[in-house]
Amino acid sequence: MAEYEASLLEIIKEHAVGLTGELNRDTPIADLGIDSFSVVEIIYEIEEKLNVEVPFNANENPFGDMATVGDLLDALDKLIKKK
Amino acid sequence: MTRNVVVTGMGVVSPLGNNIGTYWDGLREGRSAIIKREYQAADKFSLTVPVAPIDDIADMIKSLGRDMLRADRFSQLAVIAADEAIKDSGIEFDEALGARTACIIGTGIGGQTTLDDGYQAMLCRDRRPHPLTILKIIPNAPASHLSIRHGLRGPTFAVSSACATGAHAIGVCADLIRSGSADVGLAGSSEAALSYGALEAWKAMHILADETCRPFSKNRNGLVIGEGAGVLVLEEEEHAKKRGAEIIARIAGFGMNADGNDMINPSVDGASRAIELAMEGVTVDDPSGVYINAHGTGTLLNDPTETKAIRTVFCADADAVVVSSTKSMHGHLLGAAGGIETIAAILAMKNGIVPPTVNYDEPDPACDLDYTPNKAKERNISVALSNSFAFGGLNAVVAFSKP
Repeated sequence: MAEYEASLLEIIKEHAVGLTGELNRDTPIADLGIDSFSVVEIIYEIEEKLNVEVPFNANENPFGDMATVGDLLDALDKLIKKK
Repeated sequence: MTRNVVVTGMGVVSPLGNNIGTYWDGLREGRSAIIKREYQAADKFSLTVPVAPIDDIADMIKSLGRDMLRADRFSQLAVIAADEAIKDSGIEFDEALGARTACIIGTGIGGQTTLDDGYQAMLCRDRRPHPLTILKIIPNAPASHLSIRHGLRGPTFAVSSACATGAHAIGVCADLIRSGSADVGLAGSSEAALSYGALEAWKAMHILADETCRPFSKNRNGLVIGEGAGVLVLEEEEHAKKRGAEIIARIAGFGMNADGNDMINPSVDGASRAIELAMEGVTVDDPSGVYINAHGTGTLLNDPTETKAIRTVFCADADAVVVSSTKSMHGHLLGAAGGIETIAAILAMKNGIVPPTVNYDEPDPACDLDYTPNKAKERNISVALSNSFAFGGLNAVVAFSKP
């Protein structure tokens, strides 16, 4: 996971249009200014840039109840598969 | 003088059956047409997803004649359904009637397989696309083919509103008849987008089901895409009576609106207002006589939102109303959903049998209406609704009543 974390934070930062401060694991998701499509777009970019697969079913709500960026990184860590 | 609109013919080609009789048998028996299938492209791409396809209709398509062999599959399906509806109605289109007949056939995406074939030919085999490619993919192709095939020269065009397309086509066509622009109309929709490219695009949205479609069930996890077409013959009531036509159902109401909220997440306010608009002027003496063929896609969000919308409109009577999602059996036909689901609603009312919501494993507290789980049941239905709540926040609800 550590190998990806820096790249994931970079990608998330690009989509965080509402962010004014630093981006790290403790940053609240609410501060990022992302909308409901942003998570899907972030994942798409992760798949394209890192050449991995992130299979998930939105109906199973794998990204529900995330408070911080750390929660998002942990959720992604569970899903990321090397191609 | 008020012009009323009635249904005098129906035709369908669906994953459950290639005509009205076999479609109704499938619905009544609670049969599922959902299977896992592999789709391939260019000898190197492949994906396997649950779908609701139509198989074994090559002979049926061939029998449509040479013009239709030059058409995309979505046009072929529309013509199969429309031909059955016209035969069912007993109507004969002479020149005078043809000029007063509308033809409104919708689709979500149009000639998807032709588009896929064209790109594969160009990019993978360095070939040019088929010369009739443009004519095959345009969304108005079915309406135009039917106009030519049956000499229909009244208002003719396609409508498109994703999953609400079929209901919109029927509502718009009924309005044309009511306003006097036509006396008869073919109204419905068609979709045949089970191609490798389209299914990869659906998979990329991460909302397809893993195994099957489970509307309203706690373990539901998404859509299953299907293909097919459904067409109604609509007629001005006096015109139908004058020629001794059998009136199958009346169009009792039609509601259409937009959520103005989100491209994908549905809205209780928008959906409930569309149902209310459809029910305006419809008298309900006994709420247990109301059947709602739900949009019921089996996604996390649609099913509880639709439940809340139904409760908002029917209040204490919502528990008496009977609901089912036939998408559990025939899949989500996208633009053609309204085309075949309005027919399911009418057939339920005509036969006094509510088709079930199959694959229903476990109740969800957020979805607490009577969804007719797993087995059809008898019910004297006086009003049948068909709900459609589409991507982009577009809602359309048609209400039918007995003749």
